[in-house]
Amino acid sequence: MAVEFHITLPTRARRRRPFPEHLTDPARPVLGHAPADPYDHIAQVARAAELAGLSGAVVPFDPDGEESFIVAGGVLRRSRHLRVAAEFHPAIATPVYAAKLSVSLARFSGDRLDWKLGDLDPLTARAHGDFLDGPERHRRAAEFLTIAKGVWSQSGFTYEGRHFQVLEGGFASVLDDGVPSPLGGRPFPRVHLSGTSPEELDLSAEHAEVHLFDPWDDIESAVERLPGLKYGVRLRVAAREDAAEARDLEGDLVGSYDNVAAGIREFVSRGVTIFHLEATPHLEETYRIGEHLLPLLTKESADVH
Amino acid sequence: MSIDVYWRIGTHGDQPSLRRRVSSRGGWAPVGPGSLAPGLRDGRPDGYSHVEHMGDVARASESAGFVGGLLPSFPFTDDPWSAAATLARETSTYRFMIAFQPGFLHPVQAARMSASLQRATGGRVVYNIISGGGGPQQLWWGDKVDHDDRYARTSEFLDVLRGVWSAEPYRHKGRFYQVDGAALPEELAAQPFPEIYFSGSSKAAIDAAGRHADYYLSWLEPFGPLAEKFAQVREASDRDPRFAVRIDVVARESEEEAWDEIRRGWDNIDPSVLRDATGDSIGWQRSRSFVTGKVTGHRDLEVEPNVWGGFHLLRGGPAFGLVGSYQQVAQRLDELIELGVGSFILAGVPHLEEAYRVGENVLPLLKRSTS
Repeated sequence: MAVEFHITLPTRARRRRPFPEHLTDPARPVLGHAPADPYDHIAQVARAAELAGLSGAVVPFDPDGEESFIVAGGVLRRSRHLRVAAEFHPAIATPVYAAKLSVSLARFSGDRLDWKLGDLDPLTARAHGDFLDGPERHRRAAEFLTIAKGVWSQSGFTYEGRHFQVLEGGFASVLDDGVPSPLGGRPFPRVHLSGTSPEELDLSAEHAEVHLFDPWDDIESAVERLPGLKYGVRLRVAAREDAAEARDLEGDLVGSYDNVAAGIREFVSRGVTIFHLEATPHLEETYRIGEHLLPLLTKESADVH
Repeated sequence: MSIDVYWRIGTHGDQPSLRRRVSSRGGWAPVGPGSLAPGLRDGRPDGYSHVEHMGDVARASESAGFVGGLLPSFPFTDDPWSAAATLARETSTYRFMIAFQPGFLHPVQAARMSASLQRATGGRVVYNIISGGGGPQQLWWGDKVDHDDRYARTSEFLDVLRGVWSAEPYRHKGRFYQVDGAALPEELAAQPFPEIYFSGSSKAAIDAAGRHADYYLSWLEPFGPLAEKFAQVREASDRDPRFAVRIDVVARESEEEAWDEIRRGWDNIDPSVLRDATGDSIGWQRSRSFVTGKVTGHRDLEVEPNVWGGFHLLRGGPAFGLVGSYQQVAQRLDELIELGVGSFILAGVPHLEEAYRVGENVLPLLKRSTS
């Protein structure tokens, strides 16, 4: 199975210190307008991923950064090939509306939008208006995905859940003049889920296309409960010409290009085919991955490019 | 105060004219010869989507002098948030007026999306808050809250949205929403809170509008009933409310040309549509309530000079619009300004070409200056 590499995008601005006064600084406020917004930077990293031949980009849910659907919309617009996974949690919207937002982004991008459904720690959840505790959170996520998929592919879809409901809904309807709605009939975004608790694995088995692991997880035990899915891993990588150069860097996989490529092959041998890579500074490291790391993994990533 | 004139960006494609009710733009009809965005190239879909056409309408109406465009939201349309996020960097002054129903998004999420979009656009987001009428339409969206409660929810939603729009932790426990420690990151909190265009004709809507609206938005109706509606909103408001009207326009060099355009469309209406038009179309019922006598021709729906109540028969949407020469349409708009209107959302079919026509030929004739 072909291996895919996805880069994790920034959700905040890249900072630089102001130039001294005697240098022209294009960012120096003119007429009180400071052009500091992160969207060009985010798009630049996404374009780097596209040029570097990566399969996709991940937009993290970041309470202290830009909102992921808005970022995803811009990134999809400014790329041609990347799959873009927007991360969010099930309390942001009704599942019908999350699907409605998404079907438009899918239409506008040639079906390149994916979903990464996350969970929040209790403090963050409450700050986002979500007070639900315990296993009921998984039930809610299951209802969210059931309804979102139902309205996406059907018409006259009815579901009465504990947390969400819909009556006679769905995008695959027929318009007044007998024409099928263009919102219907599209592939549902690829759903990424994660976690290793029994409830999380059950949810994933039912609803995910990709189950994402942390590098230290017991992947072998978990995948027994996840037949037919693709398995992914989140990896912070720092690769350099040789191990000495990489010595002071941090990451889950640190070392020479060859070392890091070997580490990735190790995961591939354990069944992992989806890599969500994190590397900073985003732009430079994305180029580096494309120019130095991916060429060592051409056998694994065959069929992708 | 300067008057903001918006255009409309269709979120469910467009027809090439009002003459035939046939969609050719944006993919709301089977893609074939003559279809645009998507179209065919070498016999196959060309890979373009509706958003390309929406981008064209945005750029055209920006060039033609409109301050922004309304992006409507219905079950069968594309989504305004997604369209605005996609097109954020493709215009420079153009404001995106996003229609949305508060119940569908959590207010914290709405704040995060709005502030992010403000940042992506340089502060060009405007809200069109709609609360919806209840019934089966709301349940399609998965929303169970009934009509009058919906306005109570809208009110609480907007309170929470404003509360969250700060870098200081915000706490709220209300009937519909609860948050504890909500805040935006500093740079998002520093973004301007979007102006609110508020729609709804019921008493519950007007009460809620009085508290929250920057502009109270109505479809065009005959000027008398419109003035009465404005008076009710003024009465329900603590502050001096501003008014906006959403108007379809057919404006031509001469009045005859404009009515000829309507007549051509009228002649192509399926007779069964006219015969059965006593059905459940609210637009039709509303327009008929202003029409006296039998309707035998298109001019019978001209309820007062240049105010025509048959637009819903020529394209999807509200019934009333203005039909006349450039000069006449400009005069009617001037009269609306006299009634207290401070903002317009104009539209014409096809939206791309008519944006230029109205921007170049009608707006310069208005007596009062527009922003």
